[in-house]
Amino acid sequence: MKTNFFRLMLRQMDVQLRMRVLSLWSLGLFITQPVIFSAVAMFLSRAAGNTNPDLIYTVIGGGIMGMWSGLVFTSTFDIRADRREGTLELIVGSPTPLRRVVGFRSLLNILAGSTSMLAAILAAVLIFDYDFSGINLPGVVLSFLLLFFGLWCMGIFLANLLAWSRLSGTFVDLLEIPVALLCGFMYPISVLPGWMQNISTIFPIRWSLEAMRDAMKGMPYNAELLTKWLIALGISLVFLLIARWLDGKVHDHIRITGELHSI
Amino acid sequence: MTTEQKAITINQLRKTFKTRHGFWKRTTRVTEAVQDVNFDVERGELFGLLGPNGAGKTTTVKMLATLLIPTSGTISIFGQDITQHTNEIRKRIGFTFGGARGLYGRLTASENLRYFAELYALPPEVTRKRIPELLELVGLSTRGDDKVETYSSGMQQRLHLARALLHDPELIYLDEPTVGIDPVGARELRATIKNLKAMGKTILLTTHYMAEADELCDRIAIINNGRIIALDTPSALKNRITADTVIELKTSLEHLPALKTLLDQLDPLTSVTYTQNTHEEAVSIHTVQPGTVIELLSPWLNTDLVHNMEMRNQTLEDVYINIIQGDGK
Ligand SMILES: Nc1ncnc2c1ncn2[C@@H]1O[C@H](COP(=O)(O)OP(=O)(O)OP(=O)(O)O)[C@@H](O)[C@H]1O
Ligand SMILES: [Mg+2]
Repeated sequence: MKTNFFRLMLRQMDVQLRMRVLSLWSLGLFITQPVIFSAVAMFLSRAAGNTNPDLIYTVIGGGIMGMWSGLVFTSTFDIRADRREGTLELIVGSPTPLRRVVGFRSLLNILAGSTSMLAAILAAVLIFDYDFSGINLPGVVLSFLLLFFGLWCMGIFLANLLAWSRLSGTFVDLLEIPVALLCGFMYPISVLPGWMQNISTIFPIRWSLEAMRDAMKGMPYNAELLTKWLIALGISLVFLLIARWLDGKVHDHIRITGELHSI
Repeated sequence: MTTEQKAITINQLRKTFKTRHGFWKRTTRVTEAVQDVNFDVERGELFGLLGPNGAGKTTTVKMLATLLIPTSGTISIFGQDITQHTNEIRKRIGFTFGGARGLYGRLTASENLRYFAELYALPPEVTRKRIPELLELVGLSTRGDDKVETYSSGMQQRLHLARALLHDPELIYLDEPTVGIDPVGARELRATIKNLKAMGKTILLTTHYMAEADELCDRIAIINNGRIIALDTPSALKNRITADTVIELKTSLEHLPALKTLLDQLDPLTSVTYTQNTHEEAVSIHTVQPGTVIELLSPWLNTDLVHNMEMRNQTLEDVYINIIQGDGK
């Protein structure tokens, strides 16, 4: 069973990569879009009077934007395409639970989205001579892993919402930009009014992103950083648990309404 | 024990779809897709489900395939309740739905099969052996490494069958398996289906081709508006209509009333069906006494009243049309 688990994982990721990820469109999604975001953020920052815009917010912000959009786009696109193409019911009708398929797919989607982050960091170093000497590298890496995990949990949660009905896709699409804005992808979250910050507290990526920036600025392992990590991990797990709970409900619901396929 | 013997037992099956329309004024439309359906399929049997578009065939098959939950009623597969043993049942059934959907176009046929083999948790050595065998079986060996998006719809349809057979299921549902397949291919596919039956598989087939159902099926259920309206062996169904000869002729619309008066003289056992085209009326006369009919019509042969007269034996299609038309009345 264990070997089958990993075989399925590799096969699923391979199919996902070739069916949904490798295309001109996703090249745009993962590379062009973050570059535009980063550039605009730089100009906005300059216009606001910063002669030396903070790369952590501008360039790295573009990277996280790419990861998030990549996740939302690919995750929503996946289920819709499967529903339209008639493969969703073949997957559901097989002995492999849909959640496993969705889990492996989201994993690949975020891995693909991470190319944005990689591109952003490379751009920061190669083009803008970003100085990484003072950073807390293990802290950055751990924060990134938590960011990754948080996105994965949210991806699985969103996929469940999308599987629920043909309509819920529209709702998920509407989330993309607001979540990015609320979580402060491109600026310090502290610039937002308190109530807005409160909304974003429910997203694990807000916390891991903050932790990642802190560690980039060289924050040592102090209580503040640790708290952010723990919150990020905790909320991620909550998303995962809700998704797991929804999973069985979705499986029944779509087979009652007949929305497993588009007619 | 008795139900253990059956591949499928269906009891008072019903499926109601509710679809919502409108944004401000929400209205709900209720479709009774399947109503009070009961039938059993024996192990090793080839069972046909026939019926007009929208009759509820696919809905029934989807419930049998665990893809839809019945609104009420029960289904057991090999004696196991479908809602309680969903996952065990999924391992034992294979299914295809007509049409070209359900494949990953940017992957090759082999890659598609390899992916689905993984979903059915086949050991790699089995998959390696099975994929070429199945491609051979459905006549796609030479195209196995081509992307599916380059396939014709008939080829995709064949690939569906290969996919359904990957895990060597005991029970196979084929929803319109020959749709879009050329005549030679369809004949080969029918041979394949017979072969599967010979191997002891239980098969449930839906089709719109009556000759195909007649040739393949042990028993046939005719479904209309979600209800089973006839269920029997093909020969028993054909014997239902006492008539065994069909005389078909064409008449123009203007002469139809005159012809109708003429045919009204025939004895009540003879049934006459009229099918209208744009400028012609096709008339089928089902009779046990073809001699009488021909005698009646012979003075009118080659006039405008009667053209294109042909005589043939009764087919399953005649019976089907008779039963479906009779159901509406
Ligand atoms: N998911 C669904 N949601 C709402 N209505 C549905 C759904 N699936 C089927 N129906 C309705 O149920 C009825 C039966 O449809 P079904 O697909 O079972 O017919 P069928 O016998 O397979 O027809 P065909 O020969 O055209 O394939 C139709 O009125 C159809 O519109
Ligand atoms: Mg159908």
